[in-house]
Amino acid sequence: MNCVELQQSLAEVEDGSTLEQRAHLRACPKCSALLKELSLIVASAGELQASDEPSPRVWNSIEIALRREGLIRPQRTNHNQRTPLPSFSARWGAARWLVPAAAMLLLAVGIYERRQSLPAPTHEEAAVLTPVNLSGLNDDDLIQEVAASAPAMQGQYEENLRRVNESIRDAQSLVNENPNDEDARRSLMDAYQQKSMLFEMAMDRQ
Amino acid sequence: MLSKRGAILVTVTVIMAGALVAESKKELHFTVRPRAGVSVMNPYGSISVRPSPGNTVTVLATLHSDRVEVDNNQSGNRVDIQTHLLAGADAESGRVDYEILVPADASVTLHSSTGSLHAEKLHGDVNLEGPGAAVDVRDISDAHVHVKTMNGPVNLDNIKNGHVEVDSLSGDITLNGVNGSLVQVVSTSGRINYIGDFGNSGEYRLTSHSGDINATIPEWTSADVSARSVRGEVSDDIPLQPKTHTYFALDKGRAFAGTVGRVAVSSTVVLRTFSGKIHLRKRSEKQ
Repeated sequence: MNCVELQQSLAEVEDGSTLEQRAHLRACPKCSALLKELSLIVASAGELQASDEPSPRVWNSIEIALRREGLIRPQRTNHNQRTPLPSFSARWGAARWLVPAAAMLLLAVGIYERRQSLPAPTHEEAAVLTPVNLSGLNDDDLIQEVAASAPAMQGQYEENLRRVNESIRDAQSLVNENPNDEDARRSLMDAYQQKSMLFEMAMDRQ
Repeated sequence: MLSKRGAILVTVTVIMAGALVAESKKELHFTVRPRAGVSVMNPYGSISVRPSPGNTVTVLATLHSDRVEVDNNQSGNRVDIQTHLLAGADAESGRVDYEILVPADASVTLHSSTGSLHAEKLHGDVNLEGPGAAVDVRDISDAHVHVKTMNGPVNLDNIKNGHVEVDSLSGDITLNGVNGSLVQVVSTSGRINYIGDFGNSGEYRLTSHSGDINATIPEWTSADVSARSVRGEVSDDIPLQPKTHTYFALDKGRAFAGTVGRVAVSSTVVLRTFSGKIHLRKRSEKQ
């Protein structure tokens, strides 16, 4: 089992407990770290209360990501025998896991924001939940895919990626300076949502 | 022997004939019930949606080559239109331009990577998305309007009683006469320009990381306004009843907060940027 196969298999057995999964996880620190992050997200999500629900924009973004992935509301056309657009997996190959990663990123930031709004988290807790650690979004993969599928747009994606990363850094520094600053937390959330949107758009390229 | 001028004429004629043959039109009609859903996915090319008088969705598609087709499906009260790129299609040969008529109460979802997106005179929900698409939405009432772009400019004009959300990375955003229960704009580096009265006792939130934010409002506006730029400047030409208690420091030139007009019917206006400038100004009578 390679990394791609493991990430695909996590959709069915999410705790990495099958023999093949365990064998790969022992040998691959990258996948092992990914599984750890996913487990943390799942565990943290369980602690959410209804009153802590993220804004509708978060759910909207997740829904769009899931729809693109084909996990909800598959569309059929009069030409079922053909694929109207190149398939997602064909276009994205190993990078296709970035869609759920982007969706989970949004959820993770929501959890992070909630944690930040709680009274005085310990330093260790805050460090574990820092969204940068949870992102799992690989900018190089994104640019490589855009370069392959839409080379004319590569420069624009690079420039926008640079700007959005800059906005994340700035917002993160504000949060670090003053964790109780509501604007700073919201800016960080917005910045990550913008990055998630950039990934979604890149994946829609032909 | 063909003269030089004759040869050129023949060549031009052949090229034009080829172009005419390659470009084709397709017209589709669907009968729908009230509050239908219409979705158009178009990688390259423009999409324009206007209201139709009856209960019919009419699609006029201009295909720019024979390397592209238009697929369609009606499922219940939902119509899906999808551009189907054939082998070898690129941004030019894969281009399809759509003119679509829908019942005014239909909800529309439009997606184009590079073409312009336009919707007008509807009162169903409008969702528009495209990385490089120039977005123009006007004369919409009582509906959700959601726009997502990367660097395409966004222009919203005369949106009444809406629930408006715009997400753009670097495109400039202009809202003219836009009001509703929620008007939210998030941009990374694009400029945000709001011209209107912040009406409907709504929540208005305009934020950009590095883009400037300009809001031009008439004298009769009623709103609680707070503006804050972390690294940039803020300024206002309008007398505000200042607020003294805010959760952020009211550093002069970096932030202000106060009330314009009557508090009882006011909207909440939040203007935020990290390094851009914020300017709240009064609309002159001529505007």
